[in-house]
Amino acid sequence: METFVQSVVSGALTGSLYAMIGVGLTVVFGVMRIINLAHGEMVMLGMFGAYWAQARWHLDPFLSILLWAPLMFLAGMAIYRFLLRKIVPGGELNTLLYTAGLSLLVANVALLAWSGDYRTISLSYGAEPVRPFGIAIAVPLLVAFALAYALTAALWLFLTRTDLGRAIRATSQSPEAAILMGIDVDRVATFTFGLGTALAAAAGVLLAPSLYLYPTVGELLIVKCFVIVVLGGLGSIPGAIAGGVLLGVVESLGAVYVSSTYKDGIGFVIFLAVLLYRPAGLFGVGRS
Amino acid sequence: MSLLEVEGLSVRFGGLRAVRELTFSVERGEILGLIGPNGAGKTTVFNLVTGFVRPSAGVVRLEGRPLTGLRPHAVVRRGAARTFQIVKPFPGLSVRENVTVAAFVRHPVRRDAEARAEEVLERVGLAHRAGTAAGQLTLLDQKRLEVAKALATSPRLLLLDEPMGGLNPAEVDAASALVARIRDEGITVVLVEHVMKAIMAISSRVVVMNQGEKIAEGPPARVVEEPAVLAAYFGRRGA
Amino acid sequence: MRRAAPWLALLAAALAVPAVVRSSFALHVLVLVLFWATLGAAWNVLGGLAGQVSFGHAALVGVGAYTTMILYLRAGIAPWWGIPAGGAVAALASLPVGIVCFRLRGPYFSLATLAVAELVRLVAQNFEALTNGPTGFLITTLPPLRLGGWTVNWEAKGPFYVTAVLLAAVALASTAWLKGSRLGAWLVALRENEDAAEAVGIDTTRAKVLTLAHSAFLAGMGGGFYAFYFRYVDPDAVCNIGLSMEMVFIAMVGGLGTVGGPLAGALFLTAVAEVVREHFQVGHLVFYGLCMMLVIRFLPEGIWGRLHRRIARPRRAAADVALGG
Repeated sequence: METFVQSVVSGALTGSLYAMIGVGLTVVFGVMRIINLAHGEMVMLGMFGAYWAQARWHLDPFLSILLWAPLMFLAGMAIYRFLLRKIVPGGELNTLLYTAGLSLLVANVALLAWSGDYRTISLSYGAEPVRPFGIAIAVPLLVAFALAYALTAALWLFLTRTDLGRAIRATSQSPEAAILMGIDVDRVATFTFGLGTALAAAAGVLLAPSLYLYPTVGELLIVKCFVIVVLGGLGSIPGAIAGGVLLGVVESLGAVYVSSTYKDGIGFVIFLAVLLYRPAGLFGVGRS
Repeated sequence: MSLLEVEGLSVRFGGLRAVRELTFSVERGEILGLIGPNGAGKTTVFNLVTGFVRPSAGVVRLEGRPLTGLRPHAVVRRGAARTFQIVKPFPGLSVRENVTVAAFVRHPVRRDAEARAEEVLERVGLAHRAGTAAGQLTLLDQKRLEVAKALATSPRLLLLDEPMGGLNPAEVDAASALVARIRDEGITVVLVEHVMKAIMAISSRVVVMNQGEKIAEGPPARVVEEPAVLAAYFGRRGA
Repeated sequence: MRRAAPWLALLAAALAVPAVVRSSFALHVLVLVLFWATLGAAWNVLGGLAGQVSFGHAALVGVGAYTTMILYLRAGIAPWWGIPAGGAVAALASLPVGIVCFRLRGPYFSLATLAVAELVRLVAQNFEALTNGPTGFLITTLPPLRLGGWTVNWEAKGPFYVTAVLLAAVALASTAWLKGSRLGAWLVALRENEDAAEAVGIDTTRAKVLTLAHSAFLAGMGGGFYAFYFRYVDPDAVCNIGLSMEMVFIAMVGGLGTVGGPLAGALFLTAVAEVVREHFQVGHLVFYGLCMMLVIRFLPEGIWGRLHRRIARPRRAAADVALGG
């Protein structure tokens, strides 16, 4: 029983972090119907940002989020404004493949710059896990979870309480109607892409102390991200969060009770099952 | 035996009962008008009959054989073809190629399919536009193409979904004449339409739907005067 | 037949190359080009002709590679039988996958192929009894091939090159055949508008499944050749997503849906890789990514597509060329 609870808790915590990656992707998809295959690389850049912040400037990696999130926000806006915007009219396939090319480019430039060595971040306060109610939780994971929760709450407030946030939600529900209501859809799109990129980088910073870092980690993360986003429904933020937690828990339990070699496979099987029987996802926005 | 029999047809989308217990039949050689206010479920009926949507209850039979549960291409092979309200051409292909592709289902050899396509294009009056890309046609010609594609599959039953939408009065007359000619050549037609002029002019019988149910049936002139029909279109006061 | 003439001439020229070119390195580069052209053509059949974008084609290549390896190392069946066998097994394996995945459209289908490919990789990595797990398979010696009076020893590159030419020829020729067939016309229709295609009597699922099987057969043969030429197969080498993406890139850069596109794409990308290897040693993937982005932005019909448009006789209405007749 204790193992079960332990698995569920650590799975849920890790899953929430994966969920943050999913939130960035799903927000962009909801507004612009773009599936950004380079999203994993944005996360990777956040991870390495945290790493270098600690290695070069001795900054606590979690603090570096204050630097990297805004920077990547600007980078995301620039990518959309100067690169993606001209591609989108060419269709879904072209856009998808363009982001695939971008993903390859960024991952391999990073590989050239930083080599493929596996790196880790160690935190002075991360050595011993805390043990609330006798369940061991790694400290970096807990801190990351708390920050992720705060960030997501901030995002939610932004989307529901500010004009720009409402404009984003409106465009996500119907771009045509949004235009008719005087919303500058192009500006919303640019902002949203920046937002999605910033969220990805933030997720990367939060995840960095808990994972191995290497330039091609994006490949692994993007696949998990898709599973999460499809589980929860493309375009739905609560869905992405639920999907992330669900995947985290399933993988964690699967590793313990089914087989640790095939644990990644469990996620995929569920992914396929959801795609086939409930393609709108558990909370899907429903536009096919 | 009627050509098409619809019995107890029902479907729900989420909590909405889009079509409820619908029963009617279509006799050989007639033009049946299917009318009703917006949202009555007329296009849904077409989708149900032609296999684009699965019913939750009820049966559809073509010449006695069940159509329910078949996928759209199989329904076409059985002899029921449809057009779409918002036309769906193959935009990158020429008019001729659009119709040739449709003719392949009955004429597997390319040369025969091309011959059939030429024939159909003549009948609908699009022969002069055969080489134009489908995406570049005028609205009336796009509608003609939509009908041509359906005709090329050599159907016994043709379901036309609001073919007159967006046409001016002269074009409506031309389109009505075309539909009547199609009937004269032996194809049974079910026509969903809002343009009443066309319905009155060419349908032999009319079925009226409102909120998913059939509320009236009979010759057009009589049906449009029924209180239930007037109420459906204009509300209680107009009756 | 008139349009086949330049291709046949090219084929004859290609087969004559080993008589003139002796450099082992040059032949190796040509083998690579032809190998990638075959894989690119395999993906192009499904992605370009049927418009179904798969990100998991490496799994089919892997199935072909492992089949060829297992048949040779465990059952002693020579690779020249193993390669078509690899193709056949991949085609059969693709049938249930297609029936399941084609219920999805657009990006959902692409994501599903990604998941299926990852599952295949996991199986390859863990089902040790069949696939030797992460260790993989290694061919140390190849049997000699006796044809008529000749004996082919697989020492020099020449015979591999000829095999690669034949494979690429099969891939490109079968693509051309498909384009001109009735199934090809159905694929054009379903690409343009899937609902309209159903509404004119086209069984879209059957069309897609058959095309996937064709694509899988070619990919599987490519995988078999991989096993045969590179002599080493392990899950990360053949079942990885990078391989899937390279297949997509080659078809895209060369010209989606064209017959010659994969060859043009393979030539271009292999040339880029070789130049990069010479001057920079590493980072050819950086240029793949960059080229992909540049092509989509500035040359969306691909290299071959663009050349074709320049050369094609203007009197044929552009639209009439589309149905391949």
